[in-house]
Amino acid sequence: MFDINATDAAPIWRQIEEGMRRMIALGALKPGDSVPSVRDLAQQLRVNPNTVARAYQRLTEHGVFAVRRGEGTFVADEPSQPKRSERNEVLRDASNRYASAAISVGASLDDAVDELNSSFDKLVREHRRKV
Amino acid sequence: MNQAETPAIRIAGMSVRYGRRVAVDAASLEVPRGSVYALLGRNGAGKSSLVRCALGQQRASGGHAEVLGEDSWKHRTRLMERIGVVAEEADAPPEMRVHQLARFCASLYSRWDEKTFDVRLGRFGIAPRARFGDLSKGQKKQVSLALALATGPELIVLDDPTLGLDVVARKSLFEEVIADLADRGTTIFLTTHDLAGVEGIADRVAIMSGGRIVLDEELEALKGRFRRIRFAAQPLALEAASFRTAMVRRWGTGTEAIVSNYDDLTFERLRTNATIQSADVSAMSLEEIFIAVTGEGGNS
Repeated sequence: MFDINATDAAPIWRQIEEGMRRMIALGALKPGDSVPSVRDLAQQLRVNPNTVARAYQRLTEHGVFAVRRGEGTFVADEPSQPKRSERNEVLRDASNRYASAAISVGASLDDAVDELNSSFDKLVREHRRKV
Repeated sequence: MNQAETPAIRIAGMSVRYGRRVAVDAASLEVPRGSVYALLGRNGAGKSSLVRCALGQQRASGGHAEVLGEDSWKHRTRLMERIGVVAEEADAPPEMRVHQLARFCASLYSRWDEKTFDVRLGRFGIAPRARFGDLSKGQKKQVSLALALATGPELIVLDDPTLGLDVVARKSLFEEVIADLADRGTTIFLTTHDLAGVEGIADRVAIMSGGRIVLDEELEALKGRFRRIRFAAQPLALEAASFRTAMVRRWGTGTEAIVSNYDDLTFERLRTNATIQSADVSAMSLEEIFIAVTGEGGNS
């Protein structure tokens, strides 16, 4: 699925939310697919079930997941994408942090962009493999 | 009082003295119902004394302990029915077989659930006919946890559950705790050295040092306010932003600091100051925060 990083500044429930959105965006999870139960994902990621439940609740509220009573949780038929303004905000926030880290180790803009490219490729490849 | 509102454990101003030595010094804490609460501290910090008093196994020298709304000392016999305990050293007669132990517990606990016990034991891969004395240290703890879970407790107390266990046994023990939470939402109170193990599992942590509770808060809030910051300027820049530092180290003209009241907004304002523009800010693991808070384990 995806990994949880304990030293990531983002809370675990947000890492789960982002991980799920990423898998949908990359096609590893398709509309109508069932997603692991809260219990199973909690055991797999070794996190408190309440944390997983919180991420699932947010994804459901945002129309990314749909809950069918008695059957479990599924990717919505038309999972909603974040709004353009939201997406830009996320990108700006993360790139500020990345740029700051790059400058602090004396990397050039070209080096930083190269690294970003390879990280992007790697994540996309990993998810493709899991389809 | 409404049951949901009384905390699972409430300790107020508890002190424990052994002769002149103070093991627990006016400790107070509250464990909310349904939470996973991890009490952290080094050996000799006073964790075990605090746990024994909370369970009514020992009488505190001062202060008050309540479990599930009842005085832990006065009502200790009655409370045992509602609490599951996994002791630091799991103990049972070595000649007894695991299924005999289960039968013995079934006769003591009215809420005993045979199926829960069988399922947990199966997941640990322990044969019901095995003699307790032949089991490894880790397996003894697993049996002890399976027994505790099967009594249908409202609260589970785990005293250093992973001490002396290998990686695999540690993992399956925490997985069982997670499974129980998903199934029933039992309150879990544990003491541990295994900071990485409880990182994703605990809702709330307390740190004990020298008999005192030096910190007691939600893990997410704790991780949100601690940051390691490195930048090429004097430490003064941090003070200007009213950041509190738990550690400051100078590297040539640069600074490495641990800030205990970090927030993004304050930092962004600080960043507009050119001297600190290229700061590297990193989140910290629970282990790193523990060392920063207790001032132990590092070379500072």
